[in-house]
Amino acid sequence: MNADSGHRKGEIAELKSQLRQLAGSRAPGVEEVKRELYKKVISYMTIGIDVSSLFSEMVMCSATSDLVVKKMCYLYVGNYAKVHPDLALLTINFLQRDCQDDDPMIRGLALRSLCSLRVMNFVEYLVGSLRKALKDNNGYVRQVAAMGVLKLYHIAPTACIENDFVATLKSMLSQDPDAQVREWSRTVCVRCKRFWFWREPTMTVQTKIGRYYIASKSIKDFSEWAQCLVLDMVSKYIPVDPNETFDIMNLLEDRLQHSNSAVVLATIKVFLQLTISMADVHQQVYERIKAPLLTLISSGSPELSYAVLSHLHLLVMRAPILFSSDYKHFYCRYSDPSYVKKLKIEMLTAVASESNMYEIVTELSEYAANVDVGITREAIRAVGKIALNLCDVNAIVDRLLQFLEMERDYVTAETLVLVKDLVRKYPEWSHDCIAVVGNVSSKSIQEPKAKAALIWMLGEYSHDMLDAPYVLESFVDNWLEEDSPEVRLELLTAAAKIFFKRPPESQKLLGAALAAAVDDPDQDVHDRGLFYYRLLQQGVQTAESIVNPPKKAVSDFADIQNSEMRDRIFDEFNSLSVIYREPSYMFLDKEHRKLYEFSDEAAPTDVLPTQKLDANDNDLLLGAFDKEESQSGVSNGDDGPLSAPRSPSPTLLGDSVPPVSASNIPAAFGIDDLLGLNISTPPPPPPSLVLSSKPVLDSGTFQKKWSQLPVALSFEHPISAQSLKTTQPLLRHMQEKSVQCMASGGQSPTFKFFFFAQKADGMPGTGFFLVECLVHTSAGKASVKVKSEDSTFTAAFSDLFKSALSSFM
Amino acid sequence: MIQCLFLLSDAGDVILEKQWMGKRVERSICSWFWRQRSEMEDQDPPSVIASPTHYLLHIVREGVTFLACTASEMPPLLGIEFLCKVASVLENYLGGLNEDILKDNFVIVYEILDEMMDSGFPSTTEPSVLKEIIAPPNLVSRVLSVVTGTSSSLNAASPLATSSQVSWRASNVKHSNNEIYFDLVEEMDAVFNRDGFVVKCEAYGEIQATSRLSGMPELSLTFANADILHDVNFHPCVRYRAWEADQMLSFIPPDGAFKLMSYRVKGLKNPPLFVRPQLSSGEGICRVNVLVGLRGDPGKPVDAIIVQLPWPPSVVSTNLSPSVGTVTYSFSTKVSTWIIGRIPKDKSPCLSGTLQLEPGINRLEEFPTFLVGFKIQGTAVSGLKVDKMDIRNVEYRPYKGFRAVTRAASYEIRT
Repeated sequence: MNADSGHRKGEIAELKSQLRQLAGSRAPGVEEVKRELYKKVISYMTIGIDVSSLFSEMVMCSATSDLVVKKMCYLYVGNYAKVHPDLALLTINFLQRDCQDDDPMIRGLALRSLCSLRVMNFVEYLVGSLRKALKDNNGYVRQVAAMGVLKLYHIAPTACIENDFVATLKSMLSQDPDAQVREWSRTVCVRCKRFWFWREPTMTVQTKIGRYYIASKSIKDFSEWAQCLVLDMVSKYIPVDPNETFDIMNLLEDRLQHSNSAVVLATIKVFLQLTISMADVHQQVYERIKAPLLTLISSGSPELSYAVLSHLHLLVMRAPILFSSDYKHFYCRYSDPSYVKKLKIEMLTAVASESNMYEIVTELSEYAANVDVGITREAIRAVGKIALNLCDVNAIVDRLLQFLEMERDYVTAETLVLVKDLVRKYPEWSHDCIAVVGNVSSKSIQEPKAKAALIWMLGEYSHDMLDAPYVLESFVDNWLEEDSPEVRLELLTAAAKIFFKRPPESQKLLGAALAAAVDDPDQDVHDRGLFYYRLLQQGVQTAESIVNPPKKAVSDFADIQNSEMRDRIFDEFNSLSVIYREPSYMFLDKEHRKLYEFSDEAAPTDVLPTQKLDANDNDLLLGAFDKEESQSGVSNGDDGPLSAPRSPSPTLLGDSVPPVSASNIPAAFGIDDLLGLNISTPPPPPPSLVLSSKPVLDSGTFQKKWSQLPVALSFEHPISAQSLKTTQPLLRHMQEKSVQCMASGGQSPTFKFFFFAQKADGMPGTGFFLVECLVHTSAGKASVKVKSEDSTFTAAFSDLFKSALSSFM
Repeated sequence: MIQCLFLLSDAGDVILEKQWMGKRVERSICSWFWRQRSEMEDQDPPSVIASPTHYLLHIVREGVTFLACTASEMPPLLGIEFLCKVASVLENYLGGLNEDILKDNFVIVYEILDEMMDSGFPSTTEPSVLKEIIAPPNLVSRVLSVVTGTSSSLNAASPLATSSQVSWRASNVKHSNNEIYFDLVEEMDAVFNRDGFVVKCEAYGEIQATSRLSGMPELSLTFANADILHDVNFHPCVRYRAWEADQMLSFIPPDGAFKLMSYRVKGLKNPPLFVRPQLSSGEGICRVNVLVGLRGDPGKPVDAIIVQLPWPPSVVSTNLSPSVGTVTYSFSTKVSTWIIGRIPKDKSPCLSGTLQLEPGINRLEEFPTFLVGFKIQGTAVSGLKVDKMDIRNVEYRPYKGFRAVTRAASYEIRT
C-alpha cells in the first residue's frame, strides 16, 4: 500500500515536470503529447486520485487550440477550483481570456466554466464576460450566457438587476433569431421565476405566471424539460372561473401525448389540481389521463414504469371504481421485479368489484402458486382483503380454503390468518371454514401469527371441532418451547374459552395453562394469567361474561393508511413523496423541500424585498411550516437531524384490531367494573375552559398530533376579512385570544392557517386543540376543522374560537 | 435538481462520476447503493430509493448502472427520463455500452454529460443537436487522427453558426443521398392460462425513424387504420393538431435516428403461437409434455422461437428431449431453454421427458410459468399499416424505406 502510494506520488511528480516542459512550447506534435498527458490526469481524477497538486501546471498548459484539451482542462479546473482558492484568480484570468477566443465553442465552454465556479468575490469579472456573451454573434455562446445569468442570479441577484440582464433575457426569449437560444432564455426565465416580481410587484406570483404563460400559449416553445417547470407553476395557478380551467386544459391536452414521461406527469398534475374542486370534471380527468399512464407503464423501461406505477397506484387508491374495468393492466408480468408485483397486487385489490372479482381472484390465485414466497403471501393477503371488502364472498371462501390444501407451510400460515378475519366478519361462513381448518395439521404451522389465528379459532369454535381440547392440550404441553408471547396469550384465552363450553374435557387443560401463564417470564402473559385466575374466583359466570362475551360480526377493519395522509400525498403528485408514500414533510429536510431551488452553499447574500413573499411561491403548507419560527414566536424544539429520510412509521394497529381510538373510551370505567368496585361516577359537569396564554408546541409534534387525531368538529363561520391582505393581522388577533399560529400561507382571496391552543390547567404537553382554518376573504367566511386531545372540551373550545373569529375586524 | 451522476460497472465500481453542482456528493454513496443491491440478493432495487443522505434514482442499461443523486424534492420522472436519455445518447455515440467502451471514451462521455445537464437541470438532450456540438468518435475520424495526427472530435463547422427556426434541427443539414427509414417495432404481451385461453393480450409499438434528409423537409405520414391505436405518444416535432384532425403525422424530422411515436393496441385476438404444457407429477417424478404450434396464420414466418421453462426449486434435474430444436438446462438458475427457431412444415415441435424432484417431495407444489420468445419479420402484429408518406418543402425526391417487425415481450404460458 505504502509502496503503491509512493509510486503514485512519483508518477504525479513526473506528470508535473512533463507539463512544465510543455507549457509555452510550440514544438510540432506538442499538442498530441499534451492531450495524452491531460487524459492521464483526468483518468486519475476519474478513478478518485487527488491530482489537485498539478493545478498551476494544468492551467499554464491550457493555451491551446485543441478543443478536447480545453474541455479536459475546464473539467479539471471545475473540479479543483474550490480546493485551491489561492489559484482561483489565475483560473479566472485564463477563463476570461478564453471568453475572447475566436472559436465560438471555446468562448461558450470557457464562459460556462467561469459561471460554474460560483465564487462570490469574482462576480465583477463574471458580469463583464456575460454582458459581452449575451450579444455574441454565435447562438451557442448566447445560449451558455443565458444559463450564466441564472447562475449569477443565484449568487448575486442584485448584480443581475443592476446590469439589466433580465431585460436582455426577456428580449432574447422572443427576438433571438435562433430557436434554441429562445428556448434556453425561456428556461432560464422560468427557473428564476422571481424575475417577474420585480417588474410588476402588485401581482401575486401565481396569477402572473399563470396568466403570462397561459395567455402566451407558448408552452411548445419551451424545451421539454422546461415545460415541466412551467407545468409545475401552472398547477399552482388558481383559475378565475371554470372557463379558464377548461381553456387551460384544452391548451395543454396535447402534452399528454408527449414522448417525455416527465412532461406527461407534469400535465396530469395540472389537470388534477385545476379540477380538484369540480367533482364531475375531476372524474372525467381521471378517464382522460388513464390511457397515457397505462401506455407509459408498457413502454418497456422497468425503472420508468415503476415510477409511473407509483403514481397510478395513488390514483387507483383514490378512485378505485374508475379503474375497475382496467384491472387487466395490473396483472403481473412474470418478469416484473417483486416491488412492482407488490404494487400491482395492491391495485388489483383496490379495483376489485362485484363485476371483476372472479377474474381478479383467479389471477391472484395464480400468483399464490408463485415461486417467490413474498409474492405468494401478498397474493393470499390480497384475496383475503377482497373477501373482507366485498359482500359476495361465496367463491372467494372456496378459493381461500383451497389454499389450505396446497400443503405449503407459508401458504397455510397466511391463509389461516385470513380465515380468522373472515369468520370474524362473516360468522355465517364459520361452519364451512372450521371444517377445513380442522384438517390442518397443527404441526406444520410455525409462524406465530398463524399459530395464534389457529388457536383463536380452536377456542372460539370448539363446539364445532371435536378434538379442539386435545389439540390445545398439545400446545399447552409445549408451553415452554413456544417463543412468541402473542401465541401464549392466545393459548391462555382459548383454554379459558373452551373451559366455559366444554368444562369436563378441559378443566385440566385450563389448569395447566393458568399455571404455566402465572410462571411465564412475559409480563403480559403473567398478568393475564393472574387476571383470569382471580376472575374465575368470582365465579365461572362472571368470568365467562368478561372473557368470552357474545360477539358481533366485525363490520370494517382498520385501514392502514388514513385518507388524509393520502390526500396530502396527492397534493404532491409528481414528486418523490408519491414513491415513498409519505408527504414530503415526513421525509425531507427542511432546507431541501423547495422544488427546483438551488441547494448550494453559496446562498444569496443580498436580502431582497421580495423574500417575504417566498412562501406564496412554494407549496402552501411546506412554505408555511418553514416560517413558523419567526411568526409565532413559539419556542421551537430542534427537529433533530432531519436530513435522513425517515423510514415509514410502523402501523400502530395490528393486522386486525378494529379501529378504537383510545381517547373515545373512558378506560377507567371498564376496569372499575372488572374489579367489582362498582363506583358510579356522576356525569361530569359541563366543562369550563380556560386556555393557556403561552402554550408550547413544536411543529414536529403538531404534525404528529394532527395526523393522529380525528377531526372532532368542523364548521363554517362568518368572518369580516374582506380587507385581509396578509396573514399577519389575523395571527395577532388570534394570539390575543390565546390561540397561537403554527403556520400560515396563501394570498387573497384564500388563506390557510394552522392554529393551536392548550388548556390552561393541563399537564405540560397535553390538552391541545389543533385547528385548520381556511379563510375565504371574498366570501367572508372561514372553514374550520378542530382536532382535540380532550373531547370533553371540544365544544367549549370551538365556541371560544368562533367568538374570536367573530370579533376580528 | 440532480446533483451528480455516477456510472457503475456490473461489479459496483465507479467507472466515472460527473458533478453538476457546487456541493459534491461523495463516492461513498455508491458503495451504500451497492450494499442495498446485495441485500436484495443482487436484484435491482426500485429505481427510486432513499439513502441516509440523498435520494437515489437509477437505471440499468447493458450492465451499466446510471446512478443520480439529489438532496431535494423533484419530479421522479424528470430524473429517470433524463437518465434514460443519457443512456441512449451514450449508446448511440459509442456504438454500445459497457465498462470498457466507457473507459476508452471517458473524455467524450464527460463532454456529453457536460452538455446534457447544466447546474442540475437537463439542457441539450436532443441527439441531433448534440451531434452538432460534439462529433461522435467514428471509425473514420479515429483512423484519420492516427494517420494525420490531427484532433479527432473537433467539429468542422462551429455549432449553431446558423440560426434555426426549430430547436431540434439545424437549418443547414446537407446529405448527398437523401433517405428516410421507418421501422415499425411491436412488442407483444400475452398471458395464457393452463387451459390455453388468452388471459390478456396487447401490443406496445414504436415507430423508429432514421432521417438523412437535406434542408427543412415537411413530412406527413398517414396510416391505413389509425383507429386501432389505443393511445399514442409523439416526438416533440409532431404537430398534435394535425393528428387530432386527420390522424396524420405531420412533422419536420430531427436529423438522424429518433423515436417518432409510440402506441398501444389493446385486446388483440391473434397471438401467433400456442404452447400446450402438460405436467403430471407423483412419486418424486414429474412428467413433462409441451407442444408448440402456430395459432392461425400471422402472414409471415415466425422466427427465433424459444421457450424458457423456469423450474421450481424442488426440481433437482431434468431429462427432456425435443422433437425439433435443442434444449439446454442451467443448474444454477434451474431454467431449461428450448430453442426451436422456425417451426418446420412436416413436424410439430414437442418437448417431452421427466423432472427429478428433491427427495421427500412427491409432487410439484408450484406451477411454473413458461416464457416464449419469437420474432416476425415484415409484419406488425397489431395490423397497423402505413398508408403513405409525403414530403414537401424540398427539391429532391428522397428514398423512403419501411420495415416492420414483431417481437414477444412478455409472452407467458401458465401451467
